[in-house]
Amino acid sequence: MTFRIGVDIGGTFTDFALFDETAGRMAIHKQLTTPKDPSLAVIEGVDLLVRRENVSVNDIAEIVHGTTLVTNAVIERKGAVTGMLVTKGFRDVLDIGLERRYDLFDLRLVFPPPIVPRERRVELDERVLFDGSVRQKVSLEEARAGIRSLVDNHQIKALAVCLLHAYANPEHELAIRALVEREFPDLFVSTSAEIFPFLREYERWTTTTINAYAQPMVDRYLANLEGGLRKIGFKGILSIMASNGGTVTPALARRYPVRMLESGPAAGVLMSAHHGRTLDLPNLLSFDMGGTTAKGSLVRDMNPLKKYEMEVARVHEFKRGSGLPVKVPVIDMIEIGAGGGSIGSVDDRGVIRVGPHSAGADPGPACYGRGGTAPTLTDANLVLGYLDPGFFLGGGMKLDLAAAKRAIEKNVGKPLNLALDRAAWGIHEIINEDVARAFRVHASERGFDYRGCSMIAFGGSGPVHAMRIARKLKIPRVIFPVGAGVMSAFGLLASPRSFEIVKSEVVFLDSLTEDGLAARFAPLVKETTGYLRASQTAAKDIRIVRRLDVRYFGQGYELEVTLPEGDEAELLRRIPELFAKAYESVFSISFLDQRLEIAAWKVEAVGPLPPMRTGFQLGHAGASKSAQKGTRRAYSAEQSGYADFPVFDRYALKPGANVMGPALIEENESTCVIGAGDRVVVDERFNLVADIVPEAGSA
Amino acid sequence: MKEFDAVSLGILWDRLISITDEIVSSLIRTSFSINVRESYDLSCVLFDANGVPIAQGSYSVPSFTGTAAPTLRHMLRKYPPATLRPGDIVATNDPWMGTGHLYDINVMRPVFRKDKLVGYTLSITHLPDIGGVGVSAGPTQIYEEGLRLPVCKLMRAGVLDTELMELIRTNVRVNEQVIGDIMANISCNEVGGRLLLEFMDEYGLDDLVPLSTAILAQSERTMRERIRTIPDGIYKNRIDIEGVNEAIPLACTITKKDDSVVVDFAGTGDSVRAAINVPFCYTRAWAAYSIKCLTTPGTPNNEGSVRPINVTAPEGCILNTQVPFPTAGRHAVGHFIVPLMMGAMQDAVPDRVQADVGMMNIFNVQGTNRDGRGIASLFFLAGGFGALAGMDGAPTTPAPSNMGVVPTEMWENITSMTVERRELLPDSGGPGAARGGVGQEVVLVNDTGNLLTVAFMGQRTQFPAKGFQGGKAGRLRGYQINGKPVNPKGRFVLNPGDVISLFEAGGGGFGDPARRPPELVLADVRSGLVTAEGALRDYGVRVDLKRGTAVRA
Repeated sequence: MTFRIGVDIGGTFTDFALFDETAGRMAIHKQLTTPKDPSLAVIEGVDLLVRRENVSVNDIAEIVHGTTLVTNAVIERKGAVTGMLVTKGFRDVLDIGLERRYDLFDLRLVFPPPIVPRERRVELDERVLFDGSVRQKVSLEEARAGIRSLVDNHQIKALAVCLLHAYANPEHELAIRALVEREFPDLFVSTSAEIFPFLREYERWTTTTINAYAQPMVDRYLANLEGGLRKIGFKGILSIMASNGGTVTPALARRYPVRMLESGPAAGVLMSAHHGRTLDLPNLLSFDMGGTTAKGSLVRDMNPLKKYEMEVARVHEFKRGSGLPVKVPVIDMIEIGAGGGSIGSVDDRGVIRVGPHSAGADPGPACYGRGGTAPTLTDANLVLGYLDPGFFLGGGMKLDLAAAKRAIEKNVGKPLNLALDRAAWGIHEIINEDVARAFRVHASERGFDYRGCSMIAFGGSGPVHAMRIARKLKIPRVIFPVGAGVMSAFGLLASPRSFEIVKSEVVFLDSLTEDGLAARFAPLVKETTGYLRASQTAAKDIRIVRRLDVRYFGQGYELEVTLPEGDEAELLRRIPELFAKAYESVFSISFLDQRLEIAAWKVEAVGPLPPMRTGFQLGHAGASKSAQKGTRRAYSAEQSGYADFPVFDRYALKPGANVMGPALIEENESTCVIGAGDRVVVDERFNLVADIVPEAGSA
Repeated sequence: MKEFDAVSLGILWDRLISITDEIVSSLIRTSFSINVRESYDLSCVLFDANGVPIAQGSYSVPSFTGTAAPTLRHMLRKYPPATLRPGDIVATNDPWMGTGHLYDINVMRPVFRKDKLVGYTLSITHLPDIGGVGVSAGPTQIYEEGLRLPVCKLMRAGVLDTELMELIRTNVRVNEQVIGDIMANISCNEVGGRLLLEFMDEYGLDDLVPLSTAILAQSERTMRERIRTIPDGIYKNRIDIEGVNEAIPLACTITKKDDSVVVDFAGTGDSVRAAINVPFCYTRAWAAYSIKCLTTPGTPNNEGSVRPINVTAPEGCILNTQVPFPTAGRHAVGHFIVPLMMGAMQDAVPDRVQADVGMMNIFNVQGTNRDGRGIASLFFLAGGFGALAGMDGAPTTPAPSNMGVVPTEMWENITSMTVERRELLPDSGGPGAARGGVGQEVVLVNDTGNLLTVAFMGQRTQFPAKGFQGGKAGRLRGYQINGKPVNPKGRFVLNPGDVISLFEAGGGGFGDPARRPPELVLADVRSGLVTAEGALRDYGVRVDLKRGTAVRA
């Protein structure tokens, strides 16, 4: 018997999914997160879950773990006291930033303070040039004195070593690392070329400082976790989820904490892709909406789209550009400040605006009855009848409908002279429009044609909104997978081991030889496979994916080309053709006679996909015998007014069952809202597959 | 749908903005020049059948605020709506009809639904080249600056005018990029038309006019309400800016009464024989931008918010220049409209205005790099941001326009020059209760082994960023070659090994520096943005870093 457990730590809950590989059975568990030491909830939850399911801890082969620990540390600025060594003359790179305003009209825009304040940055008289040659050799004595002063005067616990052009020649950074390991063994150290050997000093250095900043905390956390799991008898492998949708060993996570940013949401997207594989839907929109944010991403040919930069800790109303840029391989997600807790208000234009401010979990929406008075999306969904005041979180929490009505009337209805139901509908529908808009622009920027794709909807609020959003996007089909509230925990179990390295080096394609190509890839292949081998992945199971960022000489932007298998001569010959194809798909035209330049080299080592089926039903004690629980008055968009909606118990719907909209299909963590005329079929894996009937819309 | 309540209006309005955003994204995706892709030097606008602009892309640059409606009027004067056919594409780059210089191409497409003209889409982008002498203050007449396209049809009923395209191709440098960008404009307008029709079908709208009327009325109402919060009065200001040879006065009188604003630029100096003259459309755009920052910074741009603002400037002055004065560098002067108006309004709305900004420094480098590749690049640098009431100015932040920095590692790769240093300049931010943003010092060495030519066009080298409400001025911008100050508007040849040093201007401070809390002065000294001497001299605060004390002397 082999079992695997996925554990996803969120802001409020820690989710667990236990998968029985032999029987294809899945069990889930949820408990409150323990913010002070999140490992406590993990250990306790694992222990509880295995006991409940009568599984021996000895039989747990692997625990895969995703966490927002690093993200939160950056947002709340709770990382270690960090110092920085930089090239002489460049101490201020972090303050000078990008020299760009992200909002042209708001003169009170705010920029995020650098992770390492100016007084904790020490300059070194060294210089590597752009071609990697050394103009001024680093002095280890000077470095030693600099570190000594940071330790003595600022009590730093972590050090970021950030030197110019280290991506082209890391020897100075590596010499300093060796010095630290020798003489300051208690100090955590991150060097910029190891963290992300990429040209653009502001982004690379910011990424490096975040890595250093998180290192001591992640080390402590993983030590607690490993110790605690050992204590309850766990002898299997502990894996940590990274932002790119792959897992790494604890040792690698300790070295690269910055790669753990957003690992939970990444796992959710991975689960969408997994569903796509089992349902034979290669192109998908993955839509996840929870308490404070909505996240969307695109899956093309079974693979989530990826990118190599993200932004964390936005300081000004979730605005793009108001956070810190981080360069890591990451699943390409749009994040919108829209969730159940998002607050509805009247904006400067005199129309409804929802978010980005959120009532959070405390005091939360007005209907939580914890003192919140602001009208949130959850309040609107309650007033519209989509949520049942007596069956929120499966009945675990009573909602105060009167408080929700009061909040909406006072803050939106009265000021805009709208009836209560219209105001509530406005809050609900504005969010649908916002999410649809974000998807449209995201897809358009990536040349992704979503018409005809399906959407996979999950998270606490996703299923409430998915059908309307899909309709706006002219997407014909929405899938509501089993366990909408724990998708990330499932996704952890669907993630392969992987590690990717991206290195900047500009080379003209026509000056590149077969040997040159092989020589540049070889060290990257060696390093990435080394990491996988160290996590007990057999060499024969490791797949190597090589990609290049290529551009026309003279243009400032690159396109990624994935190289097929084959020998170097063959690859070299095919690069122009592959690039032209990629270029045409984005720009509709190509200039085949232009000289090509390679800007970056990428190697990803990927382990095998873990065995995983979705053909499971989650046990649920409260499942009623008959699927229809009753009816509830709820707002029908089609009729612009309230109507009787049949209410179904999702756990009682068996494969093959049909439900015609209007309908509300309830599960513990969420409710699927199905519009009039739309049709739902339960497939053999217990997913709800909803088809949308086209109609002329109304606002 | 006859009436639009707040719910419908909000949803339909957001959807129209979403359509313009999608046009923008399609434009960016298909454009070739760095101006469009990296600097977002563009705008996309939707109009109803009456030529009233309803929605503008969220990313449009401020200098295109409100230029689109007059542009479309000029186009329709030549090609009346009744003569337009599906698939027609109308364009112009005339500075006086478009956005102030030849580089911006305006491309319009009428949208037909069931044979009825229901609206227009229009896109504007900054082309990488337009022939003539290139970006330079040198020309004395518009004719030297490049190709001026009167309102013309690039396409007739879906058929491209190949002769016209050939004419353009023949007259410009980097012609693949220029033609590629024009084609990107054509295709993004096609996307826009399709999206607009889908939108009308989805919501069963036969006519956009009732919706546009509602949206504009709402925007106008909001704008008028906000204008009411400014005290009535006549507010004046006059500043000197640096021309090519002598200072140029800019003056404004802002008359605010009830819910409307009149901005007049009488008293401004005459047009000059250098390419820094400003056509009125560009003046109007920056005037509207300034008022918008002071009233409704958070709302989407559209014509409704411009209606309560009436802008005038005497014909022939540098802010309302006439043919044949050259205009390529109209931003060098036009950008000062914002600090000019902020200065006028500082007593009326002290909590909303921003003290003067250090502004940007853009200079041109030409020559050959170490490997023999040609260099023709712009280097951007920002001075400090101006302080606001209770808010220090950010360091090295561009305003009023916007650009991104070229990273040192990138610049060295492209040019094989060496950047020796890129440091914040202590004490350069204007002292104040809120401190102005600091500027920076950047030192570049010509390590190409070849000759390089640099052309400067610097401002704030004689007239610093002023402080407001008792705040002091930021430090001046300066240029040195091999340690010696040089003409900030000069053109120089650099020998191998020559060193350029640039000192970027600080932003102005806000409020009396004597009122800056000593602990903030201490924090500035600790981080090095203010020196201990500067603290004593500018703030009257004696700082002892060792003991961590700061006492007002």
